Amino acid sequence: MFDETLALTFRALKKWVRNPASVLPGLFTAMFYLALFGSSFNPANLIPSSAGAAGSAILKASFGGAPTYITYLTSGVICIILVFNMAFGGIDLVLDRQLGYLNSLLTAPVPRAAIYLSGVFQNLVKVLILAVLTFVVALVLPSGLQLPGSFGVLEFIGVFAAFILLGLGLSFVFTALALTVRSIDSLVAIVNFITLPVMFMSNTFFPSSSFPSWLMSIASVNPVTKANEAARLLIVNGSLSSSQLATYGWDIAYLVVFASLLGVLGYLAARRALRPE
Amino acid sequence: MAAIIEAENLTKVYGGKVKAVDHISFKVAEGEIFGFLGPNGAGKTTTIKMLNTLASITEGSATVAGHDVAKDPGAVRKSIGVVPQELTADDELTGTENMMLMARLHQVRGAAAKSNIGTLLGLVDLEDAAGRKVKTFSGGMRRRLQLVMGLLHEPKVLFLDEPTLGLDVQTRSRMWNYIKGLNRDKGLTVFMTTHYLDEADSLCDRIAIIDHGTIKVSGTPGELKATHGGDIITLTLADDKEDLTEFLSSIEGVKGVTRDGKVYTIKLPKTEKALPAIIAGVVQKEAEIAEITFSKPTLDQVFLDVVGRSMRDEESPQSDSVWENIRMERAR
Repeated sequence: MFDETLALTFRALKKWVRNPASVLPGLFTAMFYLALFGSSFNPANLIPSSAGAAGSAILKASFGGAPTYITYLTSGVICIILVFNMAFGGIDLVLDRQLGYLNSLLTAPVPRAAIYLSGVFQNLVKVLILAVLTFVVALVLPSGLQLPGSFGVLEFIGVFAAFILLGLGLSFVFTALALTVRSIDSLVAIVNFITLPVMFMSNTFFPSSSFPSWLMSIASVNPVTKANEAARLLIVNGSLSSSQLATYGWDIAYLVVFASLLGVLGYLAARRALRPE
Repeated sequence: MAAIIEAENLTKVYGGKVKAVDHISFKVAEGEIFGFLGPNGAGKTTTIKMLNTLASITEGSATVAGHDVAKDPGAVRKSIGVVPQELTADDELTGTENMMLMARLHQVRGAAAKSNIGTLLGLVDLEDAAGRKVKTFSGGMRRRLQLVMGLLHEPKVLFLDEPTLGLDVQTRSRMWNYIKGLNRDKGLTVFMTTHYLDEADSLCDRIAIIDHGTIKVSGTPGELKATHGGDIITLTLADDKEDLTEFLSSIEGVKGVTRDGKVYTIKLPKTEKALPAIIAGVVQKEAEIAEITFSKPTLDQVFLDVVGRSMRDEESPQSDSVWENIRMERAR
């Protein structure tokens, strides 16, 4: 099964890399989001200059100690990239079904799990490459992402561990959805229904502490919030204190459970979608 | 020869209501090219889908290469090659890359994969083009690539669904030669559907015509033409003074005569047997023959006789959806 999964994943990635039209828009979108949201949503614009250092201190405290809004927003934009690209990445799988490619796999001795997992991994790899590029773009933007001196390779891995787990969970569910629906229209309708609430009911743009209590309760169980929280702890602080480490640990554990649960449910749904008609 | 495909009362009902295939039974012998013909919606595709494990069987049973399709689908998949109607080779990959991927998915690796790929690409004259991306291929080249992509694991049975759809006459005839070659040289059993009756006539050892989910007739093209078509003699006399319809009908071996002025159309199972008697009789009646021609029956006649309408009256198998248009774009 491993070899077939690998072969099908590489097939999709080769197609992706060879077609710049499928890679570049994702990167431009990330740059655009960082630049647009980073300036238009920037809460520093709301604080009058007369507030001086007090204003900056309030902002810093509200945004978890982030020195600039883009430092806070980078993780949020990466989550947007994860959610939207995972959700719409399924279009390739619907096309595979509509153009008959899926049937050619189903009549070959390819394990059904390999078909599903290759869908999961191809989306995960594509989106993680975009996520890393987004991180780099945020670093080079003027007044962009400012990392603390103690942020090193280990912290970078820690940040992306949260994104990988969130991405894996999302990929499990959206791949199963793409294998289940029969048309791109249906996929787009369902995905639009899911993605916007998931993004806005989280701490993607603003801390959830600013939300009304009902929204705060929803945001607190949203895996996007957990991934942002874990990533931001490292992005803002670098080395973590023991209490921060505990928060990070709980977030990661939550994401592991989220990804595992969706992995099981996704596999069951995919197996159903791939059984003989 | 032993049967390599056996279907017994094979039935498929969709959604508990629509009976797509209704208790059909047939056998395909090893090494045979078996043609499955029928109008759109007759049950051809559903039958193929059941045999190649894409559709479940509602009732009845089928074995392919000795494996029960319902009980051991994995073993069936290892024994079959499937060349679908759609052109599924990846545009962004080269011909060789597409072949390598298919080999890997069929657990053919290393030197065996390389050697099989080389041989098969040679068989369909694609060695020189194989390094190019498939999006640069013509429709005929894509079909040829698709044909050999189904053969990398040396299957015992090859399912071909409309193998020459959308190809020009010359390319179709080349495809026929490739299929005949594979059948002859590799002893490959071929189960094919086609909309082209001349294709079935030229390629198939035996054919079955399916309509409304049941097999109406089956046999060799020759047998079917003899039973349902027969030869046709067109006799044109110098004048139409005398009506010879009754006289010609009475000649032994003649199945039917129709007259249109001085032109008589005579149906008979075998021209060679009755022709001397017809000519002798007409001469005896002192009628002058202006022209006499005879034509061998075609599968079109058989199809018309069995199904009640011509295959040409059928709609094209494509729908007008966007994705069908993409498929047809690839076929050009």
